[in-house]
Amino acid sequence: MDDYLISLFIDDEMNLDEKIVFVETVHTSRQFSLEAVAFLEQEKMLRALPAQMPASVMPRLQGNTVFSWSSLFRSRWQPMLATAMILMGLAFFLTPSPPTLTTQSEQRFVLYLPQASQAKIVGTFTNWNPVPMQKIGASGYWSLTLKVPQGEHRYSYLVEDGNRLVDPTVIAREHDDFGGENSVLVVGGGDADPVS
Amino acid sequence: MHRFRKFYIDNRDKLFGYLLRRSGNRHLAADLVQETFTRYLERYRNHEQSPALLYTIGRNLFYDEMRQNNRLVPGEEIGQVTVADQEEAYIAKEESSKIFAAMERLGEDERDILALVVSSGLSYQEIADIRQCSVANIKVKVHRARQKLKKLLQENTHG
Repeated sequence: MDDYLISLFIDDEMNLDEKIVFVETVHTSRQFSLEAVAFLEQEKMLRALPAQMPASVMPRLQGNTVFSWSSLFRSRWQPMLATAMILMGLAFFLTPSPPTLTTQSEQRFVLYLPQASQAKIVGTFTNWNPVPMQKIGASGYWSLTLKVPQGEHRYSYLVEDGNRLVDPTVIAREHDDFGGENSVLVVGGGDADPVS
Repeated sequence: MHRFRKFYIDNRDKLFGYLLRRSGNRHLAADLVQETFTRYLERYRNHEQSPALLYTIGRNLFYDEMRQNNRLVPGEEIGQVTVADQEEAYIAKEESSKIFAAMERLGEDERDILALVVSSGLSYQEIADIRQCSVANIKVKVHRARQKLKKLLQENTHG
């Protein structure tokens, strides 16, 4: 029996000849027809599995900036980048520098941690001082809005027992020198997205 | 980056579905999705976007994970299905647990091919490219995997 046609039918992979054979077989063979329905029912179950990334781990892609320089520094471009940076550094010291303006952008940090009794954020923009987050009702979410200076930042969350968590919604991460990991956030200039 | 954002949104949940069906572990699957997109961006951001390449990276990361950490926790939180009604959610959870239990008993090759076909939305040709085999081979193997799964589900029901 051409029962492999059932899979081709399920997966939309039939050519016209196969479609003809399939339709004819469904009409002439009751057994084939029942078999096809059984596989289709099975397929419904198979495809009904959780098909969405859990909300708490959706990476947050912001503008042009998330995919950080840090990844470049780990790449095979490292020697060239190092040379470029030295040259840029020299240029910096050899040319008069314009006055610098530090702009800030409001960033909202949200963490889903229903079991926690407290959550804090710690990072370069808090000078690594823990700042408590606020619980959003009984939703299990913790939130904090901070003004973050323009530039690339490292941060993580502190939960009970001194445990540190990277931001599960941010793809870019970097290991620190103490065996831990930080999320990397790049805050752009005037067009920096506030995190929603 | 807007182009990549669309690519990410189009493929995120499907890739998660594939890695969940492979690993049976939501947390691991979610971690692997993030890692897959990160690596894809690092290495191929200027290439033409290719879901097949994305799945190849995800699949390789999954195998690396299996080899290195043995992090697979069969059945862990596997039955979480987004269904509002509690009774329906319970039934869906039961059903998905059964499916996962049966999938775990498939051979490695069968499980991979079925997970790819069911989750990715890729064509047999693209899946053949990922697995470096012929389309004819995929046709045969997909159906064999489904047949075996059906048999395993029947065994579970009857015994």
